[in-house]
Amino acid sequence: MRTLKTSEAASYLNVSPNTLRAWERRFGYPTPMRTEGKHRLYTHGEIAALRDALKEGLSISSAVSRARENLTADTPMLVGALTACELDRADAAMEAALALRSVERAVEEVLLPSLHEIADRHGDGSAPWAFAAGWATDWLVRARRMAPAPARPLTVLVGDATAGELDPAALDSAALHLFLGRAGAQTLSLPVSGLTGLSDVLGNFRPRAIVIAGAAASDDEVARWAYAVRSASGPLPVALFRRGERRASARTTGTVILHDSLAEATREVQQLLEERRTVAAPLRPAAFDPVPLRRSATA
Amino acid sequence: MSPRPNLQVLPGLGQGQEEPYVAFCGHCAERPDPDAAMTRVCTTCHLGLIVTAPVSLAPHPGDAFLMVDGKLQICALSRRCEKLLGATEAEAVNRQVTDLLVPADAESAGVEALVSSIVHAARGDGTVHDLVVRPSGEWGIRWFTRVGPCGATSAALIVLAPEG
Repeated sequence: MRTLKTSEAASYLNVSPNTLRAWERRFGYPTPMRTEGKHRLYTHGEIAALRDALKEGLSISSAVSRARENLTADTPMLVGALTACELDRADAAMEAALALRSVERAVEEVLLPSLHEIADRHGDGSAPWAFAAGWATDWLVRARRMAPAPARPLTVLVGDATAGELDPAALDSAALHLFLGRAGAQTLSLPVSGLTGLSDVLGNFRPRAIVIAGAAASDDEVARWAYAVRSASGPLPVALFRRGERRASARTTGTVILHDSLAEATREVQQLLEERRTVAAPLRPAAFDPVPLRRSATA
Repeated sequence: MSPRPNLQVLPGLGQGQEEPYVAFCGHCAERPDPDAAMTRVCTTCHLGLIVTAPVSLAPHPGDAFLMVDGKLQICALSRRCEKLLGATEAEAVNRQVTDLLVPADAESAGVEALVSSIVHAARGDGTVHDLVVRPSGEWGIRWFTRVGPCGATSAALIVLAPEG
C-alpha cells in the first residue's frame, strides 16, 4: 500500500496541509493513519479518489461522498466473488482493497461487511456462507502470519466463546486476533469449553489479560473458564468483545466491555495492558537502583 | 432603392447578453484573491470549492445559498444556509432540493416553476429567475430567492434572501 505524507498529499490535491486537516475535522475524510511519531500518513488510494471527485464536484462534501462511494466498491466485488465461489477473484478483491487501505481498514471496511452481507443474504447455515467463512478464516490466518513479530512481551489470551467456525462472530474473533497481533501483542486463542490441561498451557504462555469474544457460550461456562485461567495465572483483567446481551452481567464484576469496532477494541486492550504493566511493575529496592533518587535540599 | 435588406445593430440584443461571471467560494462566498495561485479550494475557509456565477446573482459573504444539479440533488450548502435550513452540508448533499425547499403557498405557479427554473439553470440557461420559497414542512416563513446558473460543473445556484 502506497502512503503519502501530509505535505505530499496536500501537493497532490493542490491544497495546503491546513486544508487537509480542516477536511479531516469536518468530514472525517481523508482518514490518515499515524506513524510512531504521530505524524499523519494518507493512503494514496484515498487521496487519488478525492482528487478525481474534486475535479467534477461543486463542494467538498459532494466530492467526499463520491470518493467514499468509489472506495466502497470493493465490498460488492468481494461479495460477488465469494457468492460465485471464485477463490482467485476473492483474493484479487482483497488485494485491490489493500492497495487503498491498511490491513486493519481492509478487514473492517471490506472483508467483514462483505461476509456479514453474505450471512444476511443466505443465512449462516447455508453453503455459500460456509464457503465464504472458510475463505475468510484462511485469509485472516495468512494475514496474521505476515504480521511483524511482537516487539514487547504483551500477551493476551482470547477466550473463544463463539459457536464454532460457522458462527459469524468467529470471524470477528479471528479479526481481533489479527488486530492484536499487528498491534504488537502475542495472542493465544482457546475455546472457553476446554478446561483440561489449561494450567499447563498458561504456565508457558503467561497472559497479561483475558479477552472473551463471542456470545454463544453461556455465562456459567465462561465464568468456569475464567476462574480456571485466573487460578493458573493470577488475577488478570478480563474484557468482553461482542458478547451481545450477555455482557449486562459484566457491570457487577468489574469486567471491561470492549468497543464493537475492532480498531477501538484493540486500542482498549492495549490500554488495559499498559495500565497493568504500570500497576504491576515491581518496585526496585533502593540499594539496587543504579541512579539513586536525588534528595531535595530541604530534606 | 436597393432590394438588399438593411442590417442594423439593435441596442440591448447584440451586446450585454453575456453577463460577466465572478468567482466565489461555494461555502463562505468569499471572493478568491486574483493574485493568489490558482486553486479550486477556498483559501479562507478551506471548506468550499471555487465556483463562478453571473455578477448579479453571485452571493456575498454571509448570504444563504445552495447549489443544485440537473437531477435536483443538492451539491453544496453555504454556512448561512446550513443554519437557515437546520442541516449540515454533509447531511444535505445528494438529497432532493424539494426535501428542504418548496414554493411558498402564495405562489400560484406551484412546485413546477421551482423545478423548471432549477433544471434550466443547471443546463446553463443564463436567465436569473425570482421565486418565493419556504422551508419544507414549515409555514409562516418566506424567502425571496434568485435562481440562476453557476459553474465550473454546470449547476443551479439558489440564493435565499429572508428579508426580501
